[in-house]
Amino acid sequence: MTQGRYYFRFNLYHRILHGMVMVSFLGLAVTGLPLKYAQTGWGLGLSQALGGPFTAGYLHRFFAIITFTYFALHLGYIARLVLLRRPGIFWGPDSMVPQPRDLLQIFQHMRYFLGWGPRPRFGRWAYWEKFDYWAVFWGISIIGASGLLLWFPTFFARVLPGWIFNVAIIVHSDEALLAVGFIFTIHFFNGHLRPEKFPMDPVIFTGRVEEEEFRRDHPVEYERLRAEGRLESRRADPPPLWLRNFSLVVGLSALAIGLVLICLIVTTALK
Amino acid sequence: MARLLTGLGALLLLGSAVWPAGSAGAQPKPAEPKPSSQDCLACHADKDLKRGAPKPGRRDSLFADEGELKASAHAGLECAACHRTATAPHDSPLPPVQCAGCHDKVRVELGGGVHVSARGQAGAPACASCHGTHDVRRAATMTIEACASCHGKQVQVYRASVHGRSRQRGDSEAATCRSCHGSAHGVLAKSDPRSSTYHLNLPRTCAQCHADPELAKRYNIPIANVYQLYMDSIHGRAVTKSGLLVAANCSDCHGSHDIRPHTDPGSRVFPANVPKTCGACHAGVLAQYAESVHGKAAAKGVSMAPVCTDCHSAHQIRRVEGAPWQLDVIRECGSCHEESLRTYRDTFHGKVTALGMARVAKCADCHGAHTVRALSDPASSVSEANLVATCAKCHPGATARFAEFQPHADHSNKARYPILYYSYLLMTTLLVGTFAFFGLHTLLWLPRSLVERLRRGRAPGGEGPEP
Repeated sequence: MTQGRYYFRFNLYHRILHGMVMVSFLGLAVTGLPLKYAQTGWGLGLSQALGGPFTAGYLHRFFAIITFTYFALHLGYIARLVLLRRPGIFWGPDSMVPQPRDLLQIFQHMRYFLGWGPRPRFGRWAYWEKFDYWAVFWGISIIGASGLLLWFPTFFARVLPGWIFNVAIIVHSDEALLAVGFIFTIHFFNGHLRPEKFPMDPVIFTGRVEEEEFRRDHPVEYERLRAEGRLESRRADPPPLWLRNFSLVVGLSALAIGLVLICLIVTTALK
Repeated sequence: MARLLTGLGALLLLGSAVWPAGSAGAQPKPAEPKPSSQDCLACHADKDLKRGAPKPGRRDSLFADEGELKASAHAGLECAACHRTATAPHDSPLPPVQCAGCHDKVRVELGGGVHVSARGQAGAPACASCHGTHDVRRAATMTIEACASCHGKQVQVYRASVHGRSRQRGDSEAATCRSCHGSAHGVLAKSDPRSSTYHLNLPRTCAQCHADPELAKRYNIPIANVYQLYMDSIHGRAVTKSGLLVAANCSDCHGSHDIRPHTDPGSRVFPANVPKTCGACHAGVLAQYAESVHGKAAAKGVSMAPVCTDCHSAHQIRRVEGAPWQLDVIRECGSCHEESLRTYRDTFHGKVTALGMARVAKCADCHGAHTVRALSDPASSVSEANLVATCAKCHPGATARFAEFQPHADHSNKARYPILYYSYLLMTTLLVGTFAFFGLHTLLWLPRSLVERLRRGRAPGGEGPEP
């Protein structure tokens, strides 16, 4: 496995930001869900384990600050690319922006699931990866904004009507449920748990992807890089052992926390 | 010795000289045999025999009923066994009988008791007041009639009480005078700290019966562990731990001789009477409560209206400053105001209190506790005029806009909260839509991915046909 050739898929900045997303998201979920599920036994138990609602609330706001920080860092990253006049940020094969090709590939992929066609040839970002990105982008905007409203109600009530806080409670809670539910099931499956990647894909921690996997998962990007002669500039050394072990420990821990939480949520919903 | 005898002889001689022969004692006194009962009855069987001069507190008749005596506990005794100095006949009135001459142990029991210390006062009980004179009854056969001869009013009230009625139905377990006041001989005043009815001792006295869950079961008393509950309550601790004479003991709420079941409209703990009973000590709270929506409704006889015990409980009354009570009483409010509790639990306030933190708004923080008033009442803390000030208690800087927040909003009520209804609908649609699409996506991908993995072998980077 380590003998093959490796290429960089994520740079250190991407990986650090995803690390912040992971830590803050799990932190927000663990400190926020006990409040949403205050009427359940596990909600109460988790709240008490965190030191009660006061401490949990403090931690929730701490993780919110991390979230706002990485959101700002990411916007700064994009701003930097724009200022550097890097092409293809908002359109093109490397862009995160959904494009007609993505819609087509959704249908092609579904057809492939059913065995009615070949696997679509994905570029740098497959449509579900774009969806993950925009889900986080949308989620932070909505949950972050409603969270700020609820954090500083008297400040915002100077200009906003009081019912906005009622809406904020619903939106914050339900959008958070959507985010938690999506990440802990769909994202986990797409990224890590599906049999081809099981039990996890370490690429987000190591940043490196093995050539064979690169060609299979992102053939359009691979071939374009090779055709443009840029492939060699993406060459990477194999991930060192400590990094692979780190990926396993952190990644599987995050998966475990997420799966426990989603099981609790689903059990409560089914009751 | 010889000199003593000589002296006695002289005395006797002197006696014979003073008293003419043939009168009361033909023989010198010490040598005189005790008169038999027949000797006594020779005169005292006469029903019309009366005292020469009336004596206050004593009956005039000197008639002694032989039948009564023969039927009494003293049936086997001669008259002279009690009337020790009696001679037959005798001119001067006999001194009162000293029961202690035989019943010496009783004198010790009586020592310090209220029945003894009161002696010498007019109407103070002597042995005979309770036990009778010639018709002496055994203690076991004595009834509350004995007490009633002096404590008539108390006994009359007792007869109408739950204990008295239970006794009348032939229930030997129900409390009678002695159950609470102790043995008649040693009975102590209520003000005596040694008394079983002393303020601080009464709970233990009642507990002789009411700490027994089996007794509660036998008599359908709804609260079986009442004593334990009371002892852990604010009242019980104040009485037993701090020794507070002003803290309520059993009788402060239930009464003493007049204890009645809580279902009896005449009972102090009948729901409609509870505010007055509690208000006897908590006068300030009663005044607030009487002006509240609850108090007014209760005064009108609305049976649903809560009285003190509905929120505070009867025997488990806790400190209201503590978080446990403040959080538990929310459920108490919700036992009537179900809808308000449900919507409250949807909000931050309701969820945080459900998790055990009492710092955020609870029912009484906004609505008031004893002062709770209807929303339509301008004096209400949640009326339009007072609402902002009420919010500002916790949220300094609250504005009129801030107070537009609906602390009991219901997103399922489309007519009243359309914005919330559609917000919720939108969020739910988004949630269901996302999961429906990706759920299907995942379900279809799973078998496909499994096939792919099996075809390629275990290693993700292993050899396999290009897709």
